[in-house]
Amino acid sequence: MSFLIRTIDHTATGREIVRDREVEGDRLAIGRATTNDVVVADLSVEQHHVVVTPTKRGLLSLEAAGNRDFIFDGHRHKAVTADPARGGALTLGLYTLTFAREADGRTLVTVTQEEREFGDRDAVRGFDLASAMPGKRAAAWIGVLLILGAFLAVPIWSGLARSDKQPGADGPDQVAWDTSWSTGKLSLAHHSLENNCEACHVEPFVSVRDETCLSCHKDIGDHAKRDRLAGARGPMGTGEALLWQVAETFGKEGPEACTTCHTEHEGAGRMEPAAQQFCSNCHDAMDTRLSDTALGNAHDFGTAHPELQAVVFAEVGSDETRRVTLDGKAREASGLRFPHAMHLSETNGVARMAGNLPGYGEALVCSDCHSPTADRNGFLPVEMESACEDCHSLVYDKVGSTFRTLRHGDVAQMRADLIAMDRAPRAPFTRGLRRPGEFKRGGRYFQDFGRPTRNYLGIAQALSEDGVCGECHIPTTVAGEASVMPVFQRDHYFLNARFDHEAHEQEDCTSCHAADTSSKATDLLMPTLATCRECHMGAEAVKAEVPSTCAMCHSYHPPDFRRRKDGPLSPKPGRIAGLLSIARGRE
Amino acid sequence: MASLFSRREGSAHAEIEERRSATHESFLSHRAYFWARVSGFLSLFVVLTYVLVDVEPRHNGGSWYGYTLGTVGAGLIVWLSWLGVRKRRPTPGSWSLKGWTSAHVYLGMSLVVIGTMHTGFQLGWNVHTLAWVLMMLVILSGAYGITVYATLPQALSENRREMTREQMIESLATIDRQLEAAAQPLARKDADMVIATLEQDVFAAGIIARFRGPGGRDATRRALDHISTDRAYDDDADDLAQQKVRALLGKRAAQIDQIRRQMQIKALLEVWLYIHVPLTIALLAALTAHVVSVFYYW
Repeated sequence: MSFLIRTIDHTATGREIVRDREVEGDRLAIGRATTNDVVVADLSVEQHHVVVTPTKRGLLSLEAAGNRDFIFDGHRHKAVTADPARGGALTLGLYTLTFAREADGRTLVTVTQEEREFGDRDAVRGFDLASAMPGKRAAAWIGVLLILGAFLAVPIWSGLARSDKQPGADGPDQVAWDTSWSTGKLSLAHHSLENNCEACHVEPFVSVRDETCLSCHKDIGDHAKRDRLAGARGPMGTGEALLWQVAETFGKEGPEACTTCHTEHEGAGRMEPAAQQFCSNCHDAMDTRLSDTALGNAHDFGTAHPELQAVVFAEVGSDETRRVTLDGKAREASGLRFPHAMHLSETNGVARMAGNLPGYGEALVCSDCHSPTADRNGFLPVEMESACEDCHSLVYDKVGSTFRTLRHGDVAQMRADLIAMDRAPRAPFTRGLRRPGEFKRGGRYFQDFGRPTRNYLGIAQALSEDGVCGECHIPTTVAGEASVMPVFQRDHYFLNARFDHEAHEQEDCTSCHAADTSSKATDLLMPTLATCRECHMGAEAVKAEVPSTCAMCHSYHPPDFRRRKDGPLSPKPGRIAGLLSIARGRE
Repeated sequence: MASLFSRREGSAHAEIEERRSATHESFLSHRAYFWARVSGFLSLFVVLTYVLVDVEPRHNGGSWYGYTLGTVGAGLIVWLSWLGVRKRRPTPGSWSLKGWTSAHVYLGMSLVVIGTMHTGFQLGWNVHTLAWVLMMLVILSGAYGITVYATLPQALSENRREMTREQMIESLATIDRQLEAAAQPLARKDADMVIATLEQDVFAAGIIARFRGPGGRDATRRALDHISTDRAYDDDADDLAQQKVRALLGKRAAQIDQIRRQMQIKALLEVWLYIHVPLTIALLAALTAHVVSVFYYW
């Protein structure tokens, strides 16, 4: 028995080289080891892999020499019997051994080998990062679609498609995914609108309208009529003018619109007060543009602000008010007599008296008489009963241990009380006669029948310059009878500004109000502009103790003026600053 | 006269162009850093005006100054992106591709200033800031690209050691062929290690592996370790095959390291474009969304 081994190799050009050799014996060893009959130079093949032995009936028995199986005709085997006459292929790695029977009965084993490819010239592309990265084009498309979808298509589509296009719509009728359009958080006042952009941005590509603001801010008053606003505005810078020109072309409402001063999306917190510049745009040299204005020019509190003006009662006995300039010489006429300096002295009789009374300190202080209004902006009118009467007693009689006191504020009542006072000594009704027993003076049934001359004297005395009333009041005659001038006191002095006393709590009263040196009640103890400027300077005065914008004292929109004591508390929508010129000099 | 004049000017221009291409001039130093100077002045101008222009109440994309910067910035972004189209049509002249690229690089840098000043430093989680962030990332990736283009090619050529990439692959193939032949006498376990080595495709490396570069654990090194250490005491003269395989594995590892280093440098050189280009396109989308949304909710 012998095997004919036919090895077929290929040259580099592809030509076949066929070599035949014969192996004698009953056993054909196949493997990687060079001692095998057929050497299969493939590392995946065992050193001794397969042993082929002929069986009696001319068949071949293939058996694995070791643990590894082999592939015969496409199936894995550890042992198989094959008929070489019918052919068969043993696959070992890249090698294929086909079995056939030669005419002379020998078994022909044809050994062919697949060429292993080492290296791939195309592999140079593998050096490039491109072979490992996802394509740029795909990444770009994904990015574009995501961004345009999430940040443009969804909000616009949901905005156009919603059925109820009301500004304050809720739920499904709200524009979806427009949060990403917000340039910043809304101020605290508008916080509830944070997720409701369409409440203000009503129409696509239409800027926020004043009417939208006013749909909530119904009671806000106009600063001035629109044409006056436009006329008051100073010249704009080139850039700003250009911007407005462009903006108005595209439908912005103009520099007088709400949104010009009130910018939103500036971050959570209080809405920023409008900057000084928005005021000074008009109020700087405004008299050159609005020749009929009653207002002084102003553009910076520290450098350009008119002298302060106060609303005062100007004439004794009249409730008519007048605005006076606080130049240090301003006077008011409350109808009272009151030397502040004497009352604030720490050494005189007033101080001595205060020291002796319960509820007072070593000397009087402002708050002994003045109490703030509920908003702590101003002070309430001083009341005789609570502020003065502890010292300035109106007691006129004593019954047992109880004092009888005149009623303050009502001259007729005082007159009646004093006339009816029966303990004042009267001239006896009869002369030389005395009533007997208990009817005599001092007796239990004594009755004074004399004329009440002393009573009338007492009234006249009380209402005189030096009397108990005249101590504080200015005597006068009303309808032929002695009386006093009525008193008028103000609880606020500024017409167009507010002053918050609470914010100035750490200051002494006298650092602004020169009460400790004032000897007359007509002294208007209001500070001048210079006094304010000791601390307050304009918004840009960084070195000032308190850089102050206009909005610190002034409100653009007409505030609650309470022009009369019984005036309405609610803001007056009809009130506009332009009307001031009509009421010039008067409140 | 006019035609004569223009011809003379034209020839002078051609001469300059000739000189320029004769001695290699980088797009960075093109026309004596003309665009660098333009960009520098532009940035300085924007910073100065930002400080000097009084915008009330504060700088904001919606002030007249903000709109101006925004318009300039948006125009620049579109023009800069146009390089992707322009680069496919190289032309000479003062608007040569090199000049264009030079302008692209330097004007792109000035966009950092223009875009940021446009924001007025009011940033947040919204589509507007998304556009700004994308712009900054694109510029940063571009700056990275310039930096690696200026430094890495030298490393690349040093690593090549006069070999082409084809030669590196060929060298690896030669080693593999030798390795296969030399490994024939090896025992099963050793042979399996060598098979794994031969089956290893150095180019199948993923993104991270490419950036990690040479020296990583792979089939070649595992085979080398296996044959070196596990058989340290079998190192007798008889086992020549083992010695030979070991030597070949060592050579293979060195060759792979060179290829890996090459891939690493290439990756460092090329990666920026994978950020720069898709993010530019994303930026154009975000810019559109930014502009449209601002005026949609005006």
